[in-house]
Amino acid sequence: MSGGMRRLYRGETTINFYGRRNIGFIASGILVLVTIVSLFAQGLNLGIDFKGGVAFEVPVQGSISIDVVEDVLKSEGVLDDGIKLQTLKSETESRIRIQLGDQTPEKVTAIQTALAEKANLTVNDVSVSTVSSTWGRSITMKAVNALLVFFLVVSIFISFRFEWRMAISAIVAMAHDVAISVGLYSVLGLEVTPATVVAFLTILGFSLYDTIVVFDKVHENTSRFSGSKVSYGDVVNVSMNQVLMRSLNTSLAAVLPVLSLLVLGSGVFGAVALREFALALLVGLATGAYSSIYIATPLLGLLKERSAQYTSGRGQLSLGADMGHLMSTGAPVGRRASANASAASSAGTGVRPPVDAILSHPPRPRKKSRR
Amino acid sequence: MSRRPLLFSLIGIILLASGLFGGNLLAGNMPSLGLDLQGGASVTMTPKGTYEADALTVAVDIIRQRVDSIGVSEPEIIRQGDTVVVNLPGVKDQQQALELVGRTGAVEMRPVIRMAENPDTTTTTVAGATTTTIKGASSDETSTTLAQPTGGLGSARHIAAETTTTTTVPTDPVTGLEEGQTVLPGRKDGFIYLLGPAEATGEVFSNDSAAEVSNGAWVVVAKLKSGAAGEDQWNALAGKCFAGGADCPTKQIAIILDGEVISAPVVQAPSFDNSVQISGSFTEKEANELARVLQFGAVPVQFDIPTVQTVSATLGKDSLKAAIVSGLIGVLLVLIFLLFYYRVLALVVVGGLTISGLLLWSVISWLSKTNGLALTLSGVAGIIVSIGVTVDSYVVFFEKIKDDVQSGRSLRNSAARGFESAWRTILAADTVSFIGALILWWLTVGSVRGFAFFLGLSTLSDIVVSYFFTRPTVLLLARTKFMNKGRVLGVAPSTTEAVSS
Repeated sequence: MSGGMRRLYRGETTINFYGRRNIGFIASGILVLVTIVSLFAQGLNLGIDFKGGVAFEVPVQGSISIDVVEDVLKSEGVLDDGIKLQTLKSETESRIRIQLGDQTPEKVTAIQTALAEKANLTVNDVSVSTVSSTWGRSITMKAVNALLVFFLVVSIFISFRFEWRMAISAIVAMAHDVAISVGLYSVLGLEVTPATVVAFLTILGFSLYDTIVVFDKVHENTSRFSGSKVSYGDVVNVSMNQVLMRSLNTSLAAVLPVLSLLVLGSGVFGAVALREFALALLVGLATGAYSSIYIATPLLGLLKERSAQYTSGRGQLSLGADMGHLMSTGAPVGRRASANASAASSAGTGVRPPVDAILSHPPRPRKKSRR
Repeated sequence: MSRRPLLFSLIGIILLASGLFGGNLLAGNMPSLGLDLQGGASVTMTPKGTYEADALTVAVDIIRQRVDSIGVSEPEIIRQGDTVVVNLPGVKDQQQALELVGRTGAVEMRPVIRMAENPDTTTTTVAGATTTTIKGASSDETSTTLAQPTGGLGSARHIAAETTTTTTVPTDPVTGLEEGQTVLPGRKDGFIYLLGPAEATGEVFSNDSAAEVSNGAWVVVAKLKSGAAGEDQWNALAGKCFAGGADCPTKQIAIILDGEVISAPVVQAPSFDNSVQISGSFTEKEANELARVLQFGAVPVQFDIPTVQTVSATLGKDSLKAAIVSGLIGVLLVLIFLLFYYRVLALVVVGGLTISGLLLWSVISWLSKTNGLALTLSGVAGIIVSIGVTVDSYVVFFEKIKDDVQSGRSLRNSAARGFESAWRTILAADTVSFIGALILWWLTVGSVRGFAFFLGLSTLSDIVVSYFFTRPTVLLLARTKFMNKGRVLGVAPSTTEAVSS
């Protein structure tokens, strides 16, 4: 194991996340801007479930089958992920129902004729009708309302359990994740299906969960450092380094199954329906993990730094070895530490930190052997 | 903590999970699959005769509301040309499909002879139907001509309550019914109604009923059509009910759709000009619902007898197989990674995932049987993703143990302390997820609702498994000799140095 990996493994990294917060803010700002521009310029490619389209019904006779229908659609150039092919069976007859997105009248006639030819029927035997969306406006409205209520209740819960600044940061991070995922769909023109919406909601849930775990650590460290004069930036840095390994592990554990869905499911097994769903999830998981470290927590630091308790230490950060020292002892090094009477004795390099600063009470010495 | 409660909890959860799994297996309960994976029944409803396009939209809304309220099975409602197609997942019995969709027919109005609490429902007191009153709308024209009855909302409630306590509907309603009488249940109020013959239909109203706010409360205002088909017909019924004679002793008029009493307001005026105002302790939603029923009643769409067909999956068996196989491979990768990272402790994760898998399978199978739940592709994928969240609980816990072991604690001590602090984190994060799931489930319909359900379910299972399986297993393992030997966890329990600074 190399040195860096080893430190990561032991949770001893000292990366200055908070000091480099602007990198994350700027990168995210650009991506969100791209999203907004793209949404205005070309909007979203809504699937048949949202927009409706055309439905054909072909009575099944002789040689016609789902495969034949797929060939017809392919030669007409309309075979894509959004179509729905179903067979309908009743006691007396069976039919194939094909649902497509909106087509030009000429295209509709062409498909109708081609289908009739393959099925050895007259053109009029293939019925054509418009289909409405299954996902109506009222469903969208309901979902949006529910989402707003969700944000509100979650904010109240976080404010109550932690504090209001964390609520704001968490919500901003969630909004950021959804914006970027939606932006990707808009920029690439991928088709939005109900499954995509569900994927976005999954992202929200995952991002929120991830953020809460980081905030729980910050919360814990806030009380741990409350005695010493440490800037909130330090608290944030220490917390993020402490949970870094956990964040990476968790994200990897969440991404692996999704990656498998994407590569194996849609690539090797050829289940096209899985592709977009898995893609939305993958992007969302990645932004979710990123935003809890680069958006939510630095934002919390910015908000909190302005509160009365931390104004004195504002802008000062313990970096590198100093951060490591802070992390293990709970007290800062150097100039700031000397101002702090209680921590003064532990200041300076090369001096062993008192063990009782590491843990709330000292560990029991290990016995040489068990009886 | 002593050993006994830990063992007890561990054995308890294993017995519970395998018992539920075995029970469902024996009962033959299997998870049923959604429209995209398995198909189901497709009910086609064709409107009869002439109708207005708007009315069909309202009809679709009413059908959607009824079908969606069945559960979380994610039905699909499409307008295909002039017909309405309702696709119900996992329904194999065609008769059952017809019953679920029901038949949207006319709105009719009948005088209420008696009402009583419905013995079939557990609801005992529900506000709403008992407090609704009916009077002329407060436009200038009507308020001058209407004699305001003595007593307002309060007395109306009183009348309804008295009727409830002093009368009993015959236990066998088939006998003792006069001609034209019928007994129908209320839609949501937990009452059953003994009703006189239908004396008016929804067509007495014009097609613009609306929910409005009057005196700070939600009311529904419906305009009457003029002449014999509207006002006269309505007033004949209203007059009779206002008089409170033998054929309408409760003074209530029941508004009925599809064999359910939507509302049964008390008549507060002998006759009505132009419009009718129905008031009561409505919420905005209830008022809108009633207004929509009245709108629909004004221009009813009659449907032919619906046809039912079985419908195949839109995605096909391949997708499901691909999802399951690649999902399992994904989980396997996660386990290999954890094994490399946490060594022996990864076996605890395998156990935990097995337990939660058994629990989830059991609950889904059971609900498939009883509530018509259906697993869609997004549901399957949601569960696969939730594995990530579940694994996180272990990661949080194990990282804590590792930290403590590294700084010189015994494994036994670290495990106990680690769980305490990890449990706090897990509980906070899971609570937030669960709140989200609950809100989405409560306020949405369709596939979002299905998603919320599976999210909530996997969150609950995470909490249960963390506490009742992971905790005792790790705590017990930490006491064994094997685990305390060498670098079983991947970190050396350092004895000499605390933390290098």
